[in-house]
Amino acid sequence: MALEIKDPAVNNTPLKKSINETKLPVIALIGMPNSGKTTLFNALTGSNFKTSNYPGATVEYSIGSLVNRFGFSSYVMDSPGIISLNPSSPDEDVTISGLFNHPKFGLPDVVIVSCDCTQLSRQLFLVKQVIDTGFKTIVALTMNDLLDKKDMFVSEEKLGKILNAPVIKINSKKKEGINELIRKAEEMYLDESIVDYKSTIRKPGHPAEEDVAKLYDYTEQTEREVLESKNNIDINEVNRKAFRSLSRTPDLNSMKLDKVFLHPIWGIFIFVISMGIIFTSIFWIAQPAMDIIDTAFSSLSQLVADSLPAGAWYSDLITNGLINGFGSVMIFVPQIVILFILLGLLEDTGYLARAAMLIDKPLSKFGLNGRSFIPMLSGYACAIPAMMAARTISNRRERYLTIMIIPLMSCSARLPVYALLLAMVVPPDKPWIAGIGLGALYLFSIIASAVTAGIISKFKKTDEKSTFMLELPPYRTPVFRHVFKNTYYKALVYVKQAGPIIIVISLLLWALTYFPNVNPEIPESKTKGLTEEQISKVIESERLNTSFAATIGKNVFEPVLKPLGWDWRVGVSLISAFAAREIFVSAMAITFNITESEDDEDNFQTSILASMREARSPDGTRPLFTTASTISLIIYFMFAMQCLSTVAVARKETGSWKIPAIQIVFYTIMAYVLAFITYNGLNLLGIQ
Amino acid sequence: MTKTAKVTEFRSVADMTIGESAVISSVGDDCLDIHCHCLRLMELGFTPGQEVSVVAKSPFKDPLAVSVRGTIIALRKTEAECIKISTDGIRN
Ligand SMILES: Nc1nc2c(ncn2[C@@H]2O[C@H](COP(=O)(O)OP(=O)(O)OP(=O)(O)O)[C@@H](O)[C@H]2O)c(=O)[nH]1
Ligand SMILES: [Mg+2]
Repeated sequence: MALEIKDPAVNNTPLKKSINETKLPVIALIGMPNSGKTTLFNALTGSNFKTSNYPGATVEYSIGSLVNRFGFSSYVMDSPGIISLNPSSPDEDVTISGLFNHPKFGLPDVVIVSCDCTQLSRQLFLVKQVIDTGFKTIVALTMNDLLDKKDMFVSEEKLGKILNAPVIKINSKKKEGINELIRKAEEMYLDESIVDYKSTIRKPGHPAEEDVAKLYDYTEQTEREVLESKNNIDINEVNRKAFRSLSRTPDLNSMKLDKVFLHPIWGIFIFVISMGIIFTSIFWIAQPAMDIIDTAFSSLSQLVADSLPAGAWYSDLITNGLINGFGSVMIFVPQIVILFILLGLLEDTGYLARAAMLIDKPLSKFGLNGRSFIPMLSGYACAIPAMMAARTISNRRERYLTIMIIPLMSCSARLPVYALLLAMVVPPDKPWIAGIGLGALYLFSIIASAVTAGIISKFKKTDEKSTFMLELPPYRTPVFRHVFKNTYYKALVYVKQAGPIIIVISLLLWALTYFPNVNPEIPESKTKGLTEEQISKVIESERLNTSFAATIGKNVFEPVLKPLGWDWRVGVSLISAFAAREIFVSAMAITFNITESEDDEDNFQTSILASMREARSPDGTRPLFTTASTISLIIYFMFAMQCLSTVAVARKETGSWKIPAIQIVFYTIMAYVLAFITYNGLNLLGIQ
Repeated sequence: MTKTAKVTEFRSVADMTIGESAVISSVGDDCLDIHCHCLRLMELGFTPGQEVSVVAKSPFKDPLAVSVRGTIIALRKTEAECIKISTDGIRN
């Protein structure tokens, strides 16, 4: 399930248009991590990329067009945060190569460097580097509101003079200074006083330590000159008296809060509780909304079934295949929304960076890094953005290992599958057991991934040094509006992407289960004394049993799957689920041919469960879905690499087929073996 | 070499206690490791002469949260060891 945000107005390759349009000027946004680039980008382009209070939120450059309102048509490029022009991790490489040799744009016409003015001496480091490279540079001062709280402000004129570049204060959230920024960018673009300035721009090499020290001397000097106090007190005087220089003291509240959040006991307690709350509330809070969606889809399916000619070949396809298939995936939108809201809120507070720091030591025991934490956590939503988030890990081995284990995180696409299968094994009068079961699955997936990482890291050693340096952003009250907006777009993407896949796979599966024996001959003896409805069921099951899907399934899948307690229908559903895991549910609906739904008042989930309970094992002696075979199916889903998009992203992020190939082979074998052990082990224990 | 001697001679950020402030004397001067990330430390703002203080430590004692130049940066102990501080650390 791909959950990348793709705003229609913004995409990474809008440039196959006319030559005229490629001639549009390009403005690049550069800046240190968490300095407010994406917030500015969204204000400039009207897009909705994710901003969050975590350094490393953006890991890919994105290109958008300036909103018409500004009256200056140009492209804007957002980029991952960098510390200096000398990159040390893949996300920083993205920025540097986007800045110096973008495959389509070449060099940008204007560079806007965002500069968090609460840490002026540090952030001016990058500003100065960019200016010295020769770019037409504008400095956008961000976080002025925070500096204001310390009773200080930056003098733009003085800073502009020292840097010899325009400086503009902005607040992207309140849309202040944005217009001025654009006017300046336009002016600089049109300024042709420096002929052919681009040809002089060179990517700087590796700096020497002395250069870094010298550059910092310069920024400190500059900071002293431009920082002013609101109350007309001489800052130098203040700094001289108090030992801690006021301008370089981090946010005081954050320091106090860190005493609690990183406390030896409370720190761990808060970590465990907050993770626990996130994963349990997904189930408790979402239930009412899920029930509403379930009912809505069931009534829709009922309504359509009533208005379509009964018995027509397409009635079944539309009601069972399409409506119920789509419904079975939509049911999980509330859970996904809640997961995204909670993660978004937590991210926006600035806590996640602390969580990453806290978990660094334990993760390093498994060959991972504190920076693996955010990718792993987002893996619970979807593996695709999670693998991309691993770009912030500078050590290659740790990054590959993180990418390696991300598919084991229980992503949101598994929820529909688990929910369905758990409902099979849990007694209907005790639904809370399913909640506990899901919690256990989540916990188990963490343990499984840690063990896998530990084993792999034992085999693969390197001398590449592991590092962990992470800026801890100030704590902030999350902006609910932003989080909700982000969540809305993500949910929209989920729905939009699930829709077409489900329709295509459903049609395909339906055709495979319907042809070639469309009107099977049933011997008289078999239909004797049966009602019309019963006869149509016999016909249907005969048609299914002689279909293409059955022929392939019985010959190819059944011999392999029989030791796990499954039949060809499960096999066909598993293969369909390779396109995306949640397809499994709608594929089951088609292969098990739920005809009950027409005369049943009950909702979709109940009807699919009913036909699963009725299903018999290949030899017809016992039910197909016993506790043992259902649990083995759950175990299979925990490990199997059942997602094409994840394979593609793993290939892209690691630059070779090696890791995705290992993931497919290794995880599929592991899934099969563990499912086999589960099924036969449970049988041995007397659990059928 | 006794422990106390080591502390007075080569104190680094890794040896600082929570709440302590000090001035950086050198970064990565005695690092022999070619894979060392000392340049990155300097780029992050840990330059000689700069004041640093340890704000907090992870519950597992490693990494440390170090305040420098208006921000807080989490570092592993091994990295913090590269940042030497002057012995006459100034108390707040
Ligand atoms: N108070 C305040 N907060 C801001 C301002 N600009 C951005 N923020 C917040 O700062 C945080 C970081 O903003 P982003 O736009 O995600 O930063 P970024 O530079 O894109 O960060 P990376 O992608 O990680 O490099 C978010 O929580 C924003 O809401 C500002 O002017 N004032
Ligand atoms: Mg960003």
